[in-house]
Amino acid sequence: MSTRNKATSVTTRWAVPGAAVVIGFAYLVAGVLGDDLSFGIFGLVLMTALGVAFMVASRWSETAAGLRNRTDERINHIDQSASLVAGMTVLLAVLAMFVVEIAQGQDGSPYYQLGAVGGVTYLVAFVWLRFRR
Amino acid sequence: MKSAAVCKGGLTVAWHVKHPLHMRNVVRELRLTRGLSQAALGDVLGVSRQTVNSIETGRYLPSLPLAIALARFFDKAVEEVFDVDA
Repeated sequence: MSTRNKATSVTTRWAVPGAAVVIGFAYLVAGVLGDDLSFGIFGLVLMTALGVAFMVASRWSETAAGLRNRTDERINHIDQSASLVAGMTVLLAVLAMFVVEIAQGQDGSPYYQLGAVGGVTYLVAFVWLRFRR
Repeated sequence: MKSAAVCKGGLTVAWHVKHPLHMRNVVRELRLTRGLSQAALGDVLGVSRQTVNSIETGRYLPSLPLAIALARFFDKAVEEVFDVDA
């Protein structure tokens, strides 16, 4: 019986550093389109550096390695809990900013759209997971 | 308030089962008996040394598959490795 959550594929191992580089390129494209090339280049270099740092850290850090190969159930649970905390913090910040915007006589944009996306995503995910578990 | 129901076979099923936040276990003792390091046991189970340490100190409750794998590795029943009543 295997206790590994799933076999570590090449895709899994490169997911985090790959995502960092992809986000970096998104910054570059945004910088080019917005006539702010220095922002784009800085964003690409920063995100690529973060991706490389993560890969290097995974050679000596069990935690970073666990986040990279995804075979350790405890690290995966910690990652889920940390993601939950981060998501709830962002949602609370969005709600707080929405209230502030309304109090200042604004229409609450873009915070009410962001809040709606968060709420709808939660409901859809809850219903989806409810039928799968 | 009903707290339990008796099935046809005589089994008593609790309506409210409290899951323990902490369970005593003998993973460290069993590991030391085999002369294994935490890293070596982690390699066998497919988890990190830190996870083995967290299980031994009771900071992390392993999943059912991992608990069964631990018990099987030491040729024990799960209840012999993890004690909910302790």
